[in-house]
Amino acid sequence: MLIYLRKRIISSALPLAVVIVGVFALARMTGNPASLYLPLNATQQMRDDFTARNGLDQPLLVQMADYFGGVLKLDFGQSLRTGQDAAAMALRAFPATLQLAATTMVLAVVLALLVGCWAALKPNGVADRISSFISMAAASIPDFWLAIVGIWVFAITLGWLPTSGVSGAGAWVLPIATLLLRPFGVLVQIVRGSMVSALSEPYIKLARSRGAGELRVVTHHALRNAAAPALTVAGDLTVGLVNGAVVVETIFGWPGIGKLMIDSILQRDFAVLQAAVLLTAVAIFALNILIDMGYALLDARVRPVTAKA
Amino acid sequence: MTSSSTPLFPASAVKWPALAAGALLALSGCSVANSEAAPASASALRVVLGQEPPTLEACESNLTSTGVVVRSNVTEPLVERNPQTGELEPLLATEWKATSDTVWTFKLREGVKFQDGTPFNAEAAAFTINRAVNSKLGCNVEGYVFGDADLKVKAVDDTTLTVTTPEPDPILPLRLSFLEVVPTSTSTTAKVREPVGTGPYKIETWDAGQKITLTSWDGYWGDKPAYAKAEYQWRSESSVRAAMITSGEADVAMGLSPDDNMGELGVDYPNNETVALRMEATKAPLNDIRVRQAVNYAIDKEGIVNSLYQGKHKVAAQLVPEGIVGHNADLKGWAFDLDKAKSLVAEAKADGVDTSAQISLVVRSAQFPKITELAQVLQEQLSQAGLNVKLKMLETSQHLTYQVRPFPDDEGAVALMTQHGNQAGDAAFTVDQYMLSTGAQSYFGTPEFDAMIKKADAASGDDRKKGFEDIFAYQNDKVVQFAHISHQTGIIGKSKSVNYTPNSSSGDELRVSEMTPAS
Repeated sequence: MLIYLRKRIISSALPLAVVIVGVFALARMTGNPASLYLPLNATQQMRDDFTARNGLDQPLLVQMADYFGGVLKLDFGQSLRTGQDAAAMALRAFPATLQLAATTMVLAVVLALLVGCWAALKPNGVADRISSFISMAAASIPDFWLAIVGIWVFAITLGWLPTSGVSGAGAWVLPIATLLLRPFGVLVQIVRGSMVSALSEPYIKLARSRGAGELRVVTHHALRNAAAPALTVAGDLTVGLVNGAVVVETIFGWPGIGKLMIDSILQRDFAVLQAAVLLTAVAIFALNILIDMGYALLDARVRPVTAKA
Repeated sequence: MTSSSTPLFPASAVKWPALAAGALLALSGCSVANSEAAPASASALRVVLGQEPPTLEACESNLTSTGVVVRSNVTEPLVERNPQTGELEPLLATEWKATSDTVWTFKLREGVKFQDGTPFNAEAAAFTINRAVNSKLGCNVEGYVFGDADLKVKAVDDTTLTVTTPEPDPILPLRLSFLEVVPTSTSTTAKVREPVGTGPYKIETWDAGQKITLTSWDGYWGDKPAYAKAEYQWRSESSVRAAMITSGEADVAMGLSPDDNMGELGVDYPNNETVALRMEATKAPLNDIRVRQAVNYAIDKEGIVNSLYQGKHKVAAQLVPEGIVGHNADLKGWAFDLDKAKSLVAEAKADGVDTSAQISLVVRSAQFPKITELAQVLQEQLSQAGLNVKLKMLETSQHLTYQVRPFPDDEGAVALMTQHGNQAGDAAFTVDQYMLSTGAQSYFGTPEFDAMIKKADAASGDDRKKGFEDIFAYQNDKVVQFAHISHQTGIIGKSKSVNYTPNSSSGDELRVSEMTPAS
């Protein structure tokens, strides 16, 4: 396993470098941020001063070499917008996003397993129909709309929850409910589909014929085999959330990394953008390794293959 | 697989599972929510802004997002402009006068202290000016009100300050009203995110990403404000800011839209912003004055104001609203006359102007409420006059490349939608930028027009007022760089527990000390 991990880390280094170089170059192609940071009537002298002060007058390669030199010393530069350390800003925002993503995905997976298995027990039965209606609806509702309706119903009309913000447990409910719905809907359908086919396999019949209880059949025999596709999809959905739930962060004033990245792009705050992208990229590589290890735990057949990879 | 099924469900059917799921989760958090939604007391005023201030640096407080928290709350200037009367009033300076053509002398208030305990005096005032205007810090206020000009400042004694300008500057005190005074211990080599000032409130905490808390300062030289604290949060969606007022989570919400339908919880105020099209008169077809006149005639300003903005905005005939020195009250706007517009375009065409050449209507996305709808209406109305208009919606940074010099030169004529706010109260801040032939935001001018502007800039009193009034009339008559649309109205959300009347400067400087709890 350690050899496998080391190989994965080494093979991740190149894509990471490509991400950093790509973001660095693409961001600078969008133009000089001087006019965003100076008053509209700033003179050419002031624009030149700004450009020089922030090192933007240097050739791109020199800027990039400076940047990489800094990154190696864990110096990610300063925010143009706030004057703060760019890495500190990204590191402050990231936990807020991670907490939101982790809570959402744990809830989504647990709920989807329950509902999906329940639906798969009797394909086309009442439970199956109800769950397929709920899951399709959940996966199809636009989150922007849902967030606003949620605020309107639960914060304004009923007064049960705060509209937005991060203080108190109540503030978590609407953002999580909004984020939860789509992964939940998608996962229910995946779990249901793979459980239906797993439950019709010969080994299930064998298990039943040996007198295994229904609960044991479903959880121990069928679910274990049906879980791999759900893990793949749940992994993808988690990666999406770790990248920042921009809509939810924007509407609920959740100080996460998605909002930070969008603001840095709009404000041409290059250092912060680079730090945020690098941080999420590292997190996503780590997440992918975890997902691969999850496969190995679920399915013994995968282990030797991943260990050699 | 899932998205294709969307149309099968009408919105009403989709709502229920969503609400059910939400209700399930809601049960756990309701007690916390109720305790947070407590009504305002005199202890803390809760304000919700559109964005987190990037910094609270005093020398950047001309930026709306910074100034709304800092100005006149944490820090104070020497003099301040009364937004209702337009007059300058004493603050940290008690009196001032021009002692020669280029020298202004200020008498400073005695017995004032900074929040760090050091005394306010002429030395601190001189330090503030040097730091903001004559240094390499690159303060935003420097470019905004002073340009490249350096000022010579001298602390004559503890309470006397002289400021010498390179050229005669009749509005120097007005310019200085943008400079928030800081103590001499403030860094001169780096900007300071949390400044110390002489104001009624000091910064207690800044919980980055979440909240700023100001707390009333006992050593303030003036009256103690009614609220012991001011808490600022920020939400970028105006509908959420509005919801926070309705649900009792905030007492004051900035920058609401007419769509938020606040009813009696919404208070209108003139925000000194004017919307206009700026026409690039150096390229066909806008290089013909008849075409530019046709653009003015083709726009149904009354219709736009009434249908898009519920009649809250005012039809504009010039770039500055009433209340700004130099506003020309006699100026009549262009009537909406489509036939006239068509015939002017036809006349120009008959004289060989290529009226079919494309005009790019350049608009900044989300710059103000309903801007997309407004842009579409303008495109349609100009097309009806016989012009070939292509709509370009751009984000801020791209839009700025069109807004300030040097302008892009690789496309046809541009009509740029601009939202101009004159927060200084003097037309010089408008015409120098928008109308001088070399102005940072001006496409063109004429030598005669430039001479009029220079003359008005150097004048004072009634001559100054008259000078600018003539300039606005002349632009509509002879230059026609602009097609004015409307003077805007801002909306502040305000809970019933707060007494406050917003004015034209509330968006830039929200004075907490002017607010009192409603009994």
